[in-house]
Amino acid sequence: MEKRSIIKKGLIWASNHPLWMIILFFLIFPFIMPYKALATLILINGLFSLGFNILYGYTGLLSFGHAAYFGLGAYGVGILLVRYQVSVWTALLSSIIISGLGALVIGFFCLRRRGIYFALLNLAFAQMLYFIGFQWVSLTGGEVGLRNIPTPPLQLPGFSIDIYTPLRFYYFTFIFVTIALIVLKRILDSPFGRVLEAIRENESRARAIGYHTNHVKWLSYIMSGVFSGLAGGLYTLYMHFVGIEYLYWTTSGMVVMMTLLGGAGTFFGPFIGAGVYLYLEDIISIYTKHWMIFVGSIFFLCVLMFPEGIWGRVKSRIDRLKTS
Amino acid sequence: MEILRTENLTKNFGGLTAVNRVNFVLEEGRLQSIIGPNGAGKSTFFKMISGEHVPSSGKIWFRGEDITGLPQHEISHRGIATSYQITNIFPKLTTFENVRIAVQSRKTTFNFWTRADQHDDLNGKAIRILETVGLLEKKDILACNLSHGDQRHLEIAIALATDPVLLLLDEPTAGLNPAETVETMELIKKISKGLSVILVEHKMKVIMNISETITVLHDGQVIAVGSPEEIQENETVRKVYLGGKKE
Repeated sequence: MEKRSIIKKGLIWASNHPLWMIILFFLIFPFIMPYKALATLILINGLFSLGFNILYGYTGLLSFGHAAYFGLGAYGVGILLVRYQVSVWTALLSSIIISGLGALVIGFFCLRRRGIYFALLNLAFAQMLYFIGFQWVSLTGGEVGLRNIPTPPLQLPGFSIDIYTPLRFYYFTFIFVTIALIVLKRILDSPFGRVLEAIRENESRARAIGYHTNHVKWLSYIMSGVFSGLAGGLYTLYMHFVGIEYLYWTTSGMVVMMTLLGGAGTFFGPFIGAGVYLYLEDIISIYTKHWMIFVGSIFFLCVLMFPEGIWGRVKSRIDRLKTS
Repeated sequence: MEILRTENLTKNFGGLTAVNRVNFVLEEGRLQSIIGPNGAGKSTFFKMISGEHVPSSGKIWFRGEDITGLPQHEISHRGIATSYQITNIFPKLTTFENVRIAVQSRKTTFNFWTRADQHDDLNGKAIRILETVGLLEKKDILACNLSHGDQRHLEIAIALATDPVLLLLDEPTAGLNPAETVETMELIKKISKGLSVILVEHKMKVIMNISETITVLHDGQVIAVGSPEEIQENETVRKVYLGGKKE
């Protein structure tokens, strides 16, 4: 009895302070995973899903082309490091700007249409980028991708540090994810965040009460692109490699799956989704290269049994605990 | 002083003329009703004024300014608000947030760094409006879980929260039982003080009791304008709409 009420209190505290809970959790995360590289992978893909979730979970716009922004970020960092030997900071910052600009332009066109047309316009643009990446061998390495990406030490005031050991790179990523989470939390709790929710719930009424919903959606799209691009950039630094498949539609599909699996429109959901997806891939791919069959089946079952996602389900349970 | 004037306002949908050369004038501070059978063009007329539909031809003047074809959000900011016939709320947001977001629309959209729930002026105003429409006790309930009658009141509250000068009420009593209808009409009387209101209704008792002037639409055209008594006596109106009987 005593123990149960402690758990209950803990859960309620956690759900009232999602930001601190996530940050605390990720602080110890590499030590509870089988190996640290998997933890990093989950963090980066979680960040990508978080970016996707801004658009899908919070604004209600389903894009099937988010590979574009992950890919722009990844190629941005890769090309700058290989061809221009810039610092890590410059590479990451530029990749964010490149993805943001990409989202600004592509979003302008995609947002002319709604629903399935919007989703597929995104797919079309992402595939265009994929073929550009494929053809423009001198810049992107084409089919082979970019290999042997340099690993410059991270410049900090007064000293520089090698960040490419598994644990250091995890915490390097952790810092970016923490900043991204704080920024996103602020935005979602702001008046602008409330407008996003209103658009998700009923766009035509949001317009009727005086919101310029097209501008709001466009900005949400650009933010989503920036977060996804940061994830792509970190992924390149982590892998020392950029593959053409980052831009392929399967990457767009993966981020949809991760977000739905974890719980769209929830703060922690994208990370849970990324975690479950990658953890399953990691264990099952030891035994069979057809791991996708199993991940797909689990995705299928999850969507049937709790369409609100794993974390969405946990969250609604906690909400019920709160009121009881 | 007139607040709204339409000149030959027309809307075609393909071959169908839903609204046909309608001239309509509303004096400031008045409550004027529009009646007409289903398909007479009442809702289409509203949607042109609110900017949801762009007129095929004709003009709309609001407070001396040509607002024909302006985007919906700009018309909202000029002071025209609609309460919809088919309930049009934010279902998965709380009753409070439904109103608060509408209040917020007068103040800020692109504010990323303050906390929305700490804008006390907006919260206070939302609370006052909820009190006016009688939904204060239900403020934390999700809008989709409200009863139909409460949702109709929330619908009006959202429109009211945008500080309108002109309120377009499209069948506010749609689907309500007689007792709820009376309650809603009392509410409309209360909120329409100091506002200009155009009311579309089907329930004749309601209309006759509340309106100062009535416009009758039929097949997209105005067939009569007058006081409730004049309209009841009007031969054409009785033929097309009141079924030939006196109420």
